[in-house]
Amino acid sequence: MKLNRRSFVGAVAATTLAAPMVRAAGHGKPRVIVVGGGAGGATAARYIAKDSEGAIDVTLIEPTRTYYTCFFSNLYIGGFKTIDDIGHSYGTLASDYGVNVVHDWAIGVDRDAKTVTLAGGATLGYDKLILSPGIDFVDGSVAGWDISAQNAMPHAYKAGSQSELLKAQLMAMPEGGTYAMVAPPNPYRCPPGPYERVSMVAHYLKNNNPTAKIIVADPKGKFSKQSLFEEGWNNHYAGMIDWIGSDFGGDVVEVDPGAMTVSIDGEVTNVDVCNVIPAMKAGRIAEIAGVTDGNWAPVNAADMSTKADPDVYVLGDASQQGDMPKSGYSANSQAKVCANAVRGALTGSRVFPAKFSNTCWSLIETNDGVKVGATYEATDEKIAKVDGFISATGETAELRQKTYEESEGWYTGITSDMFG
Amino acid sequence: MPTMSTTLLPGLGVTGLVLAGAVAFATVNRDRQELDVAQSAIDAAHQQRAALEARVNELEAAHVDRDTLEARIAELEAALDDALSVEPEPAEAPDPTPDTAVLAVAGTGDIENGKALFDQCASCHEVGAGAGNSVGPHLNLLFGRKAAGIDGFRYSDSLVRAASNGLEWHADTLSAYIEDPRTFASGTRMSYAGMKDAGERRDLLAYLRVFSDNPSDIPEADPTAVGTDHAVDPDILALQGDPEYGEYLSSECKTCHQTSGGDDGIPSIVLWPEEAFVTAMHAYKDKARPNPVMQMIAGRLNDEEIAALAAYFKDLDE
Repeated sequence: MKLNRRSFVGAVAATTLAAPMVRAAGHGKPRVIVVGGGAGGATAARYIAKDSEGAIDVTLIEPTRTYYTCFFSNLYIGGFKTIDDIGHSYGTLASDYGVNVVHDWAIGVDRDAKTVTLAGGATLGYDKLILSPGIDFVDGSVAGWDISAQNAMPHAYKAGSQSELLKAQLMAMPEGGTYAMVAPPNPYRCPPGPYERVSMVAHYLKNNNPTAKIIVADPKGKFSKQSLFEEGWNNHYAGMIDWIGSDFGGDVVEVDPGAMTVSIDGEVTNVDVCNVIPAMKAGRIAEIAGVTDGNWAPVNAADMSTKADPDVYVLGDASQQGDMPKSGYSANSQAKVCANAVRGALTGSRVFPAKFSNTCWSLIETNDGVKVGATYEATDEKIAKVDGFISATGETAELRQKTYEESEGWYTGITSDMFG
Repeated sequence: MPTMSTTLLPGLGVTGLVLAGAVAFATVNRDRQELDVAQSAIDAAHQQRAALEARVNELEAAHVDRDTLEARIAELEAALDDALSVEPEPAEAPDPTPDTAVLAVAGTGDIENGKALFDQCASCHEVGAGAGNSVGPHLNLLFGRKAAGIDGFRYSDSLVRAASNGLEWHADTLSAYIEDPRTFASGTRMSYAGMKDAGERRDLLAYLRVFSDNPSDIPEADPTAVGTDHAVDPDILALQGDPEYGEYLSSECKTCHQTSGGDDGIPSIVLWPEEAFVTAMHAYKDKARPNPVMQMIAGRLNDEEIAALAAYFKDLDE
């Protein structure tokens, strides 16, 4: 039989499909380790386990037993959600999807031996390693602040106990007191996050401490959804919020956690609450694994594999991928592209072209929701923006309420998509 | 009868008599069997005749019913026409005898306004002649129907449970459901925020009531509403999607839309008929529907990808 090119290619494809190309040298099933159980990691673990139907061993390493989502944690601070509303367990991933959930810290990665070491002492082997560690803070980015000062001046930018602390401090503010925020420089997790937080703090103060003030020192000259937030602040919280951008010295900041003072462009102010959100970098394990370049881990847009190692992937905030904002939605979107590619590489399942999308909803005041979003595609250089939209100023109250209700639906949707 | 054989056969010996008696008995017995067979055939024929007569009676009765029903259709159509073409009446001359047919059908609601309000429902529900199930069940004969009561339509567990607890659709229950569907049935797949205005609900129900008295109420006209709010090229509707590709693409949808069919703030998209799904997506793609997130997502899906998603979601029931 003479093979022409077409039938030859067909025969190869058929063989590949019939006999999965299992890249699990020297052991049974292919093994995937996922480090970090947030929007990127939990989603990737769930999709790989679910879609491979037991053909891949999936281990998820996540230190916390209850995961508090950063998204909607501002709504907790504003009083729209309870802390339990934003807490999720990993029980369903283990029971319904067969994910091996290990509550421990990953402290070492040996990319030659393809192993991950845990703080508890165990060493686990992998064929593919997915890191989704979120963010850590850049030491010294806010003069006078380090992580030992996070109780006096909370960041509340990893949700959970920090969110509860910040809320407790907000509630304890004296009448007519001052709430200060030091906003982060780009790039950082959740671009509208600091400004939604300002809105939620203002909402709380308006109802409980209406003569209190909010000062925001911002190293940036402009910020996400700025016109929408400023319109909302004028409409709902006139006179309460003082935003100081880099044009007015917002980038020249020093804090003193002992004295509870903030110096902005040399002017020292006594404050009652100081929410310091420092500059950010990839979660530490990405750096330990040696896949970062500067503060973030560069990745290939087609499958989220790192530029440094084709068997190590980085998702979400920690990745440097191109145009997508660092958001839970983005991480969830990237995780599905990655899961499809990883499964294809390990079992020969169909791999489809990468498609990414993101939408960020923010709440300004009760039933006053806004949103911004975009779609993205993989190019050789990066994840590139295709198309986008943003809420308009002057929208009707009815539409804003609908937008807020949509965000509630999204929250249920994405947390179901992450945790099952 | 067997005893007759001895008297009919004199002069034979006892043995012969017995033998002849046996022969005669056998003969008579055979004749009797033949008679029995004939009698059965006659009985069967009688039964057939009775059945035929009953059927004829039925058909005759049906003719009468049909005449009655046709008369009722004409009456209701006239009532509907009247209701839809009602002119503002001069204040000094109120009609002392309101059309009772209209009142019976419409209750106190405004059918014409109800018809306009039904536009909100029409992308999911059909009503009228030829109406079938779409994203939602058809609404013919709705009044008096048991909740979750149409065979072949996949209802939410929530409505099925309500039905097993005895929920039936009447003006009061329908009004409560339409006012706030998720309060009424928390797990309903009906993605409708609710009609808060009691007058509007009354008008809408007056309109739906027209299609509910009995089957004859459905006018022999085009369906009032088919499940489309957007015209899509039949070639696009005819595309057969690849459900496996659809499953991959669906991961983008599932960030917001729940596979459980839950719909708090974001509509459920599971178990939709493919045509309704494709139509909705093209309506967003062509910006005929307003939500910017959906315009964006649908905007970059091609016809095959939309067909693939429709093929995947039509059977998704987790």
